[in-house]
Amino acid sequence: MSGFGSPAEIGVAQYLLMMIEEIGDGTAALPHTVGHFPGTANTLDADGRLGTDLLTCIIDSIGGMTSGLASLPDWIVTTNLMIRRAPDALTGAHGTGGLTLDTHVLRRGRSSVVTRVEVADSEGAAVATSWMSCAILTPVNGPPPFNRPVRPFEREVPNDPIFAASPHEFFNLTAGDMPGVALLEIEQRLRNPWGILHGGSSAVVLDAAARSLVLGRATVEPTPEAIVTDLAVHYLSPGRVGPIVATASSKGSRGPDHLVRVEVRDQGADDRLMALAMTTVRRLD
Amino acid sequence: MSADEVPADSRPAYPPPRHAMSLLALESEQDISGDVRGWMPVTPYTSSPDGMPRLATVAMLVDALGGMRSITASDPDWAFTADMSIHLLPAGPTEVLQADLHVRRRGRRTLVIEAELLADNERPAGSALLTFAVVPRPEHLVNITINMTPGRRKMNANSAHEILEMNYFDELELRVSEPGTASIELRPVVCNTVGALHGAIHASLIDEASASLARSLFNTHAVTTDMHLAYLDLGRVGPLTATATAIGGPANGRLTASVDVHDGNGALVSTATTEVVAL
Repeated sequence: MSGFGSPAEIGVAQYLLMMIEEIGDGTAALPHTVGHFPGTANTLDADGRLGTDLLTCIIDSIGGMTSGLASLPDWIVTTNLMIRRAPDALTGAHGTGGLTLDTHVLRRGRSSVVTRVEVADSEGAAVATSWMSCAILTPVNGPPPFNRPVRPFEREVPNDPIFAASPHEFFNLTAGDMPGVALLEIEQRLRNPWGILHGGSSAVVLDAAARSLVLGRATVEPTPEAIVTDLAVHYLSPGRVGPIVATASSKGSRGPDHLVRVEVRDQGADDRLMALAMTTVRRLD
Repeated sequence: MSADEVPADSRPAYPPPRHAMSLLALESEQDISGDVRGWMPVTPYTSSPDGMPRLATVAMLVDALGGMRSITASDPDWAFTADMSIHLLPAGPTEVLQADLHVRRRGRRTLVIEAELLADNERPAGSALLTFAVVPRPEHLVNITINMTPGRRKMNANSAHEILEMNYFDELELRVSEPGTASIELRPVVCNTVGALHGAIHASLIDEASASLARSLFNTHAVTTDMHLAYLDLGRVGPLTATATAIGGPANGRLTASVDVHDGNGALVSTATTEVVAL
């Protein structure tokens, strides 16, 4: 593991603009943080709701950081992440606008950390629940430079219109030549501080592939008629080269819910399997 | 020291009679590559009102097969289940559930195994993903001998003569005290080899806590269809209690729940999220 860049200069974080604060004095063995996601217009859908792709990004960001705080002076990599959306917050007023992410480390073992993230809207209504596991690693050049307790800080957003673009543009997605395939070309802004593809980026491309498969059309654009309601993703190896290709296959359905398996591969790195996910995509039409 | 001089192992035989795993009559077969296939008969005592196996019993099947698959995959090390994710599909009334397990990643410290589920050898019934933590092989398991010869066999010899003749949860004495709360005493029949609550019994508690909460909200039958379960600690002190909390309100016959399992001292030993569907 190479050195960590500045936490203030993570491209995905500069796009999402979530503010994170640590609760308490920063000495708790199992840290507690709260994230405030503003929900800028370009990141929300036409109803003002955050897609599961970006929801996974912000959960991975705060969950990873909080797990890392529990692991100091070591740091972590996410190994798997599980999300479920609240069934009454998929349509209508619930779950729209800005979000609050309440994050607790549940367990800090010798080699792994398990952390829970609960997401609510500005009215306090549940939007989603999630837990994630991280492996503890020893960074060659030390952990990220955090002062404890972590306090919110303003991120400087690069003067580049891509940071105000829609998710599929920011994440450089293109549709494959058939439904169920989505591609991501790696740009510097999509890498995490270790120089590898941000875990949230993998979630974005696999979410697009899964929705595309269920709708039966090759697209990476917003799909108001389908949403990922449940995601279990296992990160198996880092994405380094690209293009990153997500390929979805159907496992079956239960009414409007479609169970979809997605493989994410780094085509430029011998087609290495990066992530394996099982998702549920709900047809809303 | 001759064989006659070796002190007798004073530990009780595992599994004890009428253990939660033996009663499900699991069978397995391992091919030369190490991949594993297994089967579980589905009876009225182990099924949901829709005729499919309850998620709790599927968890036992994939946990047992996953453990078997992990032995060769992690060799010379050892592996413990760290988490388990199960999705069930509506395959209809089922007589036998089959699971095929494949290793998707063997890293230095983690092992990821995927299971495909098939009902009556023909209908997709869902899938499972399991993560194992790879650790140095414990001292007491260094010389363990495991029968890896080819061929289909019972996973436990007791299954040949132990028959489940009542609801599986009643047999295990798993109780629901109120909707969303399920408990079980820590008895040998629900323990693993180290005397802690068996991993699949965590899933039983979570399944029933979730389903009981959904039944009360929907006022009808309900089946737990999905579960993401993380093991946090060994459950060594009984009773173990699962508490399910709804995430948002139910909608379209679906309930999402967060479920925590605590031991008798109040320590959190596992956590899960579930999806429950009204029938």
